[in-house]
Amino acid sequence: MSTVLLAALALYVAAGVVTGAAFVTVGAARFAHHMTFTLPARLVLFPGAALLWPYVLYRWRRARSDEP
Amino acid sequence: MSVAFKAVQWNRDKLIYDAVLVAGVAIYIAGFAAVAWRWHPPKNLPDVLDIWLRAFGTAAFLMLTVILCIGPLARLDCRFLKLLYNRRHFGVLTFFVAATHVGLMIEWFAVQGLLHTLPADFTTWENYGKFIGFPFKTLGVAALAIMLTMAATSHDFWLGFLKPPVWKALHMAVYAAYGLVVMHVALGIMQYEHTPLIPLMLIGSLGAVATLHLMAGWREWDADHGRAAAADGWLLVGPPNAIPDKGARIVTASGGERIAVFRDGDQIGALTNLCAHQNGPLGEGRIIDGCVTCPWHGYQYRLADGCAPPPFIERLVTYRVRWNQGVIEVDPHPLPPGTPASITCPRTGA
Repeated sequence: MSTVLLAALALYVAAGVVTGAAFVTVGAARFAHHMTFTLPARLVLFPGAALLWPYVLYRWRRARSDEP
Repeated sequence: MSVAFKAVQWNRDKLIYDAVLVAGVAIYIAGFAAVAWRWHPPKNLPDVLDIWLRAFGTAAFLMLTVILCIGPLARLDCRFLKLLYNRRHFGVLTFFVAATHVGLMIEWFAVQGLLHTLPADFTTWENYGKFIGFPFKTLGVAALAIMLTMAATSHDFWLGFLKPPVWKALHMAVYAAYGLVVMHVALGIMQYEHTPLIPLMLIGSLGAVATLHLMAGWREWDADHGRAAAADGWLLVGPPNAIPDKGARIVTASGGERIAVFRDGDQIGALTNLCAHQNGPLGEGRIIDGCVTCPWHGYQYRLADGCAPPPFIERLVTYRVRWNQGVIEVDPHPLPPGTPASITCPRTGA
């Protein structure tokens, strides 16, 4: 049982790392059009993006589909 | 308040705050370890790890307690507003101290060759039905997960991304984290600890948090229910000199909306009490460089129209004010954000 839980956690973290890295690199700017991001700021945003990756992915996809 | 997102918006005050904070935490942890070392000299590596584990664990608990006390303390006495100003960094540091506590716990298992037994501590389901023997580590890990979420979303970007109501609700989970930590410590003590110091720390901390919240809540309830209204519904604020110069007096409309009525010399204006940044209590702030300045993170707005000075774009709801037979009154109906509504008072007597 604990092996299954640990594997699920590892999968969640792996998906979070990939999504988080992509979001802070190219996605975050869509949500702050009049702002720029310094490199350290992108690094600071990464844990939040990785942690909340399902919601981040949902919002990101919705923002892309709303674009003209 | 910037046109570029930076990792950390440091200024001189925040640097001093953080330096004092880090020094205080380091002194506590080193002091705890020194006393414990002298009291119960460690016989082996697990004993050494156990001392550091407890030092970081109690530090995280006390830091969380102080964080929860800062809010009501600042409402009871404005001298504590300085502690509120940079509470976010306090929270992030608390997460790192708590995470170190967890790291030391894992190391404690590893050096004894017991790491493989650790997952079973969390997944032995029958133990969740027990009182003595409850897997208290699960409570600590749940609290750490909440603190991680809060620390990871503490940057201003997340406030805009998640929207203020969601962000605020997420960060109110600090109370759930504190409850979990209290249970984690209490159930852990019952299984392993026989000194009265930690139960005393637990009871004292919980008592301080509860008492300060009740006192601050009572004071705010009293202030919200004691405001007289004129026949046409305008709320009495008081004579102009009852409003501190460069400061505000907060009045509450019948719907519970708080209005901050500021005075800057002869100019009087009313804004919502909620800062556009994180709903900070604007009325507890001051007018600095001609702008109303939020006590939490220094966001600024013009008193005349509630607009942040260029290039910033935040705008606040304003309220009409009037001078009526020597006293200031405020219309409790909000105007659209950014509407000019301040007046120049003929005689403030200040």
